Amino acid sequence: MATSKILLVEDNQDDVELTQYAFRASQVNNELDVVRDGEEALEYLFGVGRHTGRRSCERPALVLLDLKLPGIGGLDVLRSMRARPETRRIPVVILTTSDDQSDVVNGYDLGVNSYIRKPVAFHDFSSLVEQLGLYWLVTNTAPPA
Amino acid sequence: MSQTDKGIPCGGPVAVAGSEAFGTSGSFGARGDRPADGASLHPYLRHGIGVRLLMAIILFSGFVTLLSTLTQLYLDYLTEMRLMRDRFGEIETSSLASLGGSLWSLDTDQLRLQAEGIKRLPDIQYVEIRELGRSTERRLLVAVGEAGVQPLLANDYHIIHGEAGGGTRSIGVLHVEASLSGMYGRLIGRAVVILVSQGVKTFLVALFILYIVHRLVTRHLAAIAEHVGRYRFGMAAPLVLDRPPQRHEDELDRVVGAFNAMSAGIDGAYLHLSEVNAELANDIAARIKAEEEVRRLNAHLEQRVQQRTAELEASNRELDAFTYSVSHDLRAPLRRIEGFGQLLNAEAGERLDEQCRHYLERIRAGTREMAEMTESFLKLARSSRSDLIMEPANLADLAAKVITRLREREPDRIVSVHIAPAMPVTGDRRLLDIALENLLGNSWKYTRPREAATIAFAPEVVDGVTRYVIRDNGVGFDMAHVNRLFTPFNRLHRPGEFEGTGIGLATVQRIITRHGGRIWAEGTVNQGATFSFTLWEGSADNGNLENPPG
Repeated sequence: MATSKILLVEDNQDDVELTQYAFRASQVNNELDVVRDGEEALEYLFGVGRHTGRRSCERPALVLLDLKLPGIGGLDVLRSMRARPETRRIPVVILTTSDDQSDVVNGYDLGVNSYIRKPVAFHDFSSLVEQLGLYWLVTNTAPPA
Repeated sequence: MSQTDKGIPCGGPVAVAGSEAFGTSGSFGARGDRPADGASLHPYLRHGIGVRLLMAIILFSGFVTLLSTLTQLYLDYLTEMRLMRDRFGEIETSSLASLGGSLWSLDTDQLRLQAEGIKRLPDIQYVEIRELGRSTERRLLVAVGEAGVQPLLANDYHIIHGEAGGGTRSIGVLHVEASLSGMYGRLIGRAVVILVSQGVKTFLVALFILYIVHRLVTRHLAAIAEHVGRYRFGMAAPLVLDRPPQRHEDELDRVVGAFNAMSAGIDGAYLHLSEVNAELANDIAARIKAEEEVRRLNAHLEQRVQQRTAELEASNRELDAFTYSVSHDLRAPLRRIEGFGQLLNAEAGERLDEQCRHYLERIRAGTREMAEMTESFLKLARSSRSDLIMEPANLADLAAKVITRLREREPDRIVSVHIAPAMPVTGDRRLLDIALENLLGNSWKYTRPREAATIAFAPEVVDGVTRYVIRDNGVGFDMAHVNRLFTPFNRLHRPGEFEGTGIGLATVQRIITRHGGRIWAEGTVNQGATFSFTLWEGSADNGNLENPPG
């Protein structure tokens, strides 16, 4: 893995800030890139559109994916990623407020690596973000580039 | 259709239903399909009463005629025989004296003349005069006529000659034979005349009687028979015979009267029955119409019910979706309030004074409470929204896990929990877990003031139905408020006393209902509460077997 970036796909600025804060407060120091919708996420991942010129070696080591996004939804982003060989193996964690059974089932069917429902209490969220980063970026063996 | 076909005896009760026709009695034969060979003579003339009457008259009259003829013949015979004997007596008185003289003088010619004179008398067929006293060779014999032709009547007379001395002696015999065939012929002729005249008379009288009987009786009987044969209910004109009105009512008039009265009665009964039948038909038609109306209304009602059910289901689904969506969407802003509150506390907590920190803490507590509430909403919505995943489950295991979680949450509490070893059921484990979490959580919560808290969970079988009973010795509740227990947002305790959203038991009830069961509660203030529920009530296996119903 060329980079150890984390890509956060999240449309709400407040949630972005909270997540960024949680990461800052944690032991995970990896760079956090943020895109605000599904379309930009795909452009970022495939180096097209607004992210033309982004090299394949700059692909993230972990994608934190919200499901409720304007335009292309989180599950569609996941489907497109799993359909392309260059993004097929990137670990994706769905990080959302939904615990709808169909979302869970569809997420796993499309090959998500983890499904996490954001807790309300910020303290819980912070510790969860830390666990997440440590697990996927340190504990877990990443797929080869 | 004839009566015999229908098996109804003549003169038997007449069924109105079979009112097509009356058959005719066979002796009259007044049927429309009269056989062609009887065209020359009306059947009732050939086989009718008249002919039998004729035969009876002829037989009886013949017998009487025969008897009277025989009597007449016998009397005639006696008369003839007396005449015959008179004739013989006449011969004796008139001829014997002269014959004696002739014989004495042996005058043969005179004797022959006298013999022929006798023979000329009626019926005399043979006269013989024979002399007595001399030798056979010289004996005188005069014979006239043919002797011995039967039948005959013969008589011998002695011819007497007066002696000079006054004595008498027989000098000869006069033999006379009279033929009876003439007399018989006369008798036979007379008998024939009598018989023939009597026979003709008898036949003529009989014919006359036949005509009279036909005229007076049988043609009317035939007319009656024909009328009865044509008889139809409700339309028969009264029976009228084709004859001049009688001064006094006779038997036929009585028959006609009786028949007309009877047919009038039958017509009346028939009319009545027809009316009743018509009424019945009307009733039936009305009933059929009413039934159709009921069916139509039922179908309409069913359609309405289905429509309403569909509407209700749709609105329920919408409501659940709304609840779910709202709870769900509320979580995101809640998270932000809580999160930024936390950040504020972390970044600027030390700079805030006591009062401001308290406000901040209240904000965060409010958000947590609201988060808890939305979580309950989600569970409530999910309990009625999600599809049931039916699988075997053990309520004892689920309950034990719930208790374990509760103990982890409050490790300091000492609660004596007794759970029956095994309660196998069929159901959705996730929902059953939510239900038990609420029920046992309530027990856990409301026994908090007890130093020796006890919770028991065990099955009981009442009337063949298994009920699962959770008992605690907690604060209980007033039975007056039992109906409010299962209504959402209804809490029997002040918020400060016990935590909770007031949605738990409503959720439990939905889950139990979806599992085909009922739930009810009993309690006493400060004595404890008992919650009982059933699963798959009404189904044969009571939810205890591995194959779930439906």
